[in-house]
Amino acid sequence: MSTPESEPVTSEDGDTGDSDRTLYVESPIIMGTVRVVAPFVFTFGLFIMFHGADSAGGGFQGGVIVSTVILMLAVAFGVESTRDWVTPERLVAIVGVGVSVVLLLGIGTVALGGSFLEYDVVPIDHFNKYGIELFEIGIGVIVSGIVAGLFFGLAAGASGDQRNDRDADEREGLL
Amino acid sequence: MVTLYEGAVLALLAGGVFFGVVAAVGLLRMPDLYTRAHAASKADTLGAGLSLAAAAAVLASSLPTIKAVLLLVFLFLTNPTAAHAISRAAADQGIEPWTAEDGGGGDGK
Repeated sequence: MSTPESEPVTSEDGDTGDSDRTLYVESPIIMGTVRVVAPFVFTFGLFIMFHGADSAGGGFQGGVIVSTVILMLAVAFGVESTRDWVTPERLVAIVGVGVSVVLLLGIGTVALGGSFLEYDVVPIDHFNKYGIELFEIGIGVIVSGIVAGLFFGLAAGASGDQRNDRDADEREGLL
Repeated sequence: MVTLYEGAVLALLAGGVFFGVVAAVGLLRMPDLYTRAHAASKADTLGAGLSLAAAAAVLASSLPTIKAVLLLVFLFLTNPTAAHAISRAAADQGIEPWTAEDGGGGDGK
């Protein structure tokens, strides 16, 4: 599997641009479609998140759909450039925000004298509904950050392997 | 007695099932990745599209019909793009397309 992939990289045809050769292939069709579809997918993910309280859906499903936007951008515009935009530090910060939202909701109600996630003790009208929606959004933010991070981890493994193969082949070519 | 409305829904559904079967047969019988992607994407887009059109016609109320039509639009946008992405990635990886010289089972040998 690795030899037919790595052979054309190090062979004498120079048109492949062997300096930054990755799995990424630029395609105007994919880029155009992603440009059109990505905002709708993001909106649909939020829709699923907000509807978790009273119909099918929820934070987990909506979070996965929202993170699909980042996957689509990475497939269309290259994993490396997308990782420059969504850095691992930012992903950790996003997941941290989600965890703190959920923790604040859970422990905040305890601090106000109720039990865990007992929204009725918060002195805001209809906080039951707001609390459930906030909880779903927190879960959605956590899930989308985690899934995007997993994707970037897998992509780093793939490109790293290829880079190692190429280095080894170059060393063989030099020797 | 089948009304015109029911007949239209039945025709849409039958067309959707037909193209779904065509996609499955193409996926099983075609020799390599490109021809399989060709058969599956074309026929699958039409199969799912016609089935969704039948669903949109049956629901006949405002909100679910709008949802079905939106699904239809995005399916028509994304399904060919996915097939294009798969075929393009395969071509970039250096997978050779199947030709008549590669020989098939049924070409009169």
